[in-house]
Amino acid sequence: MNDNTKPKETTLSFEKIKQDVLRPMQTHRGLELWIVFLIAVIAVCGWAYYVQLRDGLGVTGMRDYVSWGLYIANFVFFVAVSLVGMLISSILGLLKVDWIAPISRIAEIIAVAFVAVAGLVIVLDMGRPDRLLNVFIHGRFQSPILWDVTVVTTYLVISLLLLILPMIPDLAICKKEMTNASPLLKKVYSILSFGYTNTPQQHKHLHRMVRTLMVLIVPVGLAIHTVTSWLFAATLRNGWDTTIFGPYFVAGAFVAGAAGLVIAMYFFRVNYKLQDYLTDLHFDKMGKLMVAVCLVYIYFNVNEFLVPGYKMKSGDNTHLKELFLGSWAIMFWASQLLGNIIPVILMVNKRFRKPLPLMIISLFVLASAWFKRYVIVIPTMLHPHLPIQNVPDNFKHYFPTPIEIAIIVLSFALALLIMTVLAKIFPVVPICEIAEKEGIDYKIED
Amino acid sequence: MKNTFNILATIILVLSLSATVCAEGWDVPASVKKKQNPYELTKRNISSGKKIFQTTCKSCHGDPGKGNMLPLQPPPTDLGSQNFLVQTDGEIFHKIRTGKGAMPTFEKTLSDESKWMVIAYLRSLDKMKREAVVTKAVVNPEVTDVKIDIDVDSEHKKLIAELTGLKKDGKRVGLEGIELSFLVKRAFGQLDISGEEAYTNEKGQLIVQFPTDLPGDREGQANLLVKITDEDNYGPIEEKRVVSIAVPTNPKNILSERAMWGTRANAPIWIIATYVLGVIGIWGVIFLILFQLFQLSKMRVKSK
Repeated sequence: MNDNTKPKETTLSFEKIKQDVLRPMQTHRGLELWIVFLIAVIAVCGWAYYVQLRDGLGVTGMRDYVSWGLYIANFVFFVAVSLVGMLISSILGLLKVDWIAPISRIAEIIAVAFVAVAGLVIVLDMGRPDRLLNVFIHGRFQSPILWDVTVVTTYLVISLLLLILPMIPDLAICKKEMTNASPLLKKVYSILSFGYTNTPQQHKHLHRMVRTLMVLIVPVGLAIHTVTSWLFAATLRNGWDTTIFGPYFVAGAFVAGAAGLVIAMYFFRVNYKLQDYLTDLHFDKMGKLMVAVCLVYIYFNVNEFLVPGYKMKSGDNTHLKELFLGSWAIMFWASQLLGNIIPVILMVNKRFRKPLPLMIISLFVLASAWFKRYVIVIPTMLHPHLPIQNVPDNFKHYFPTPIEIAIIVLSFALALLIMTVLAKIFPVVPICEIAEKEGIDYKIED
Repeated sequence: MKNTFNILATIILVLSLSATVCAEGWDVPASVKKKQNPYELTKRNISSGKKIFQTTCKSCHGDPGKGNMLPLQPPPTDLGSQNFLVQTDGEIFHKIRTGKGAMPTFEKTLSDESKWMVIAYLRSLDKMKREAVVTKAVVNPEVTDVKIDIDVDSEHKKLIAELTGLKKDGKRVGLEGIELSFLVKRAFGQLDISGEEAYTNEKGQLIVQFPTDLPGDREGQANLLVKITDEDNYGPIEEKRVVSIAVPTNPKNILSERAMWGTRANAPIWIIATYVLGVIGIWGVIFLILFQLFQLSKMRVKSK
């Protein structure tokens, strides 16, 4: 690793950083094609949502027993991935871990995109989205739902601030350098740079604000996923009725978020040609971080399943047998093995922490994390305390309909579109911060 | 060949099994067999026997003579059939007490008196002995337009019901010896306050003591229903009345207290406080940051 970083220090100059980071934003052709593709996907899947809006939730596979299906599982997944913003730029930032500098903005972009869409997924799950305001008008303080809506909104706002505030020096550069940008974009740069000229006073003032936000997002980030877990844990249902659900969800979120970050890092590194900034070292460190969070998650999984599995209380026994050996066994064990255990075994090996292998491992981890949420939500709904009797046959099973799957694809496309647009108009790697880290002096002219 | 053998084997097996079942019949001791019902077949006994029959026996055996028993194997006996009623009182008593196979034992669940009452009821269906019943019961005249009138003695909390019917000559007469049920509506179902001997006297009247400690609503009101217990007498005849002699109570509505299960207005103070203070705290800092953000551009002016 040291062989890689040493020559870099000598070759990097402020001009070079500026050019390397700003060039792909202006000249990348594939990016526009990718945006068109995403919009096409959203348009097609938007039709599925129109059908659901027109005909009601009957077009989904959800019935009286499984009233939380694919949408809620997907919501939990999106909230989980968004937590990476808090992990990287806040927790590691406050601990003054300096290798996160080039990747913290990507983490924030993921956080903003995924938490914004997470809120939207809840609206997509509503049969009557026009009644959304009732959550606020008639929401009960005792219900985790009101708390969830509140923390999701708060987390989105703080993540947005944590994306923009550390970017102000870079936006001041953009204002000057991005001469080809559209007038609208220039206006955005001009407004969001807040007249920053890197005076010592401004520098100090800005850093104090960013540090305050970094502290503030820790409780909000913990709250967003803990409250999401309370949506489940506050009910008396087998598989959800557990005291460790909050930390269990947070640990799982760190796994999913770290994997998402690695994938995004890899694509920006390759497509934006940022090999000098998103180096092998960063992938190596991210690999080690993933081993750590995966081990914590495995620890929680052991607690979550071994303790009730040892006692096999009535009710839990049906649920757990279905998970371990029954119809959910393949999904359950695949998500545990491919999403946790095998990645840890691979990632302790240095060879697998290289960019490409680590990205492939992260794809498996992320997919497993999605299926893990599915296994958390749906089996419990199918195992109520009273046996399911005398109901139409489609109440007894759940399988998402094509409409539901299309709407889920829509949510993914939307998150990717938000990420792409943010990466199109904002520098994905912090220019000034890297210059500071490298000890390069720079000036920002007004 | 093989099939023939199988069929033969099955037939032999079935026959031998059914033979054992038949041979296993009821083993009633001779002394018990001779027992006679110590209770007379009065209308009153038959009526109370019918009540027990309907709660205890009917669910399997069905209505006597109607053949609507449960489809079990072997089927429960029709207790109104003459084949069953040829047995002595003692035999039936023994069978109720011990039970066999699907027929449960009622040794502990029914008192001996109750068992004899059931037998009295069954015996009343017996074509050979029916005459005995009729002669022993009170005979009311043929009447139409049967009705119940309720009178309330608020001072002593007594309920006076009068059962009358219209004779052919247009005279209204009281009907004697008919069992009435006094039911008070409760949260779940109805409370029977009729007491032990709820039969009308020779004037057709029946006086029932209303329980002195029975809770009513805020005004002490309770819904009373008086009806003829056995519909076979004059059909379903009943009279409803709201009486104001119950104990006035102020029932506590658990939704009116502050609790986790309450409405939003009744949320516990601590949870409202946590939420409101949390939101104010976090959003206060956010707005402070936004305010500071706009000061950033002012600093440029100052520094220049």
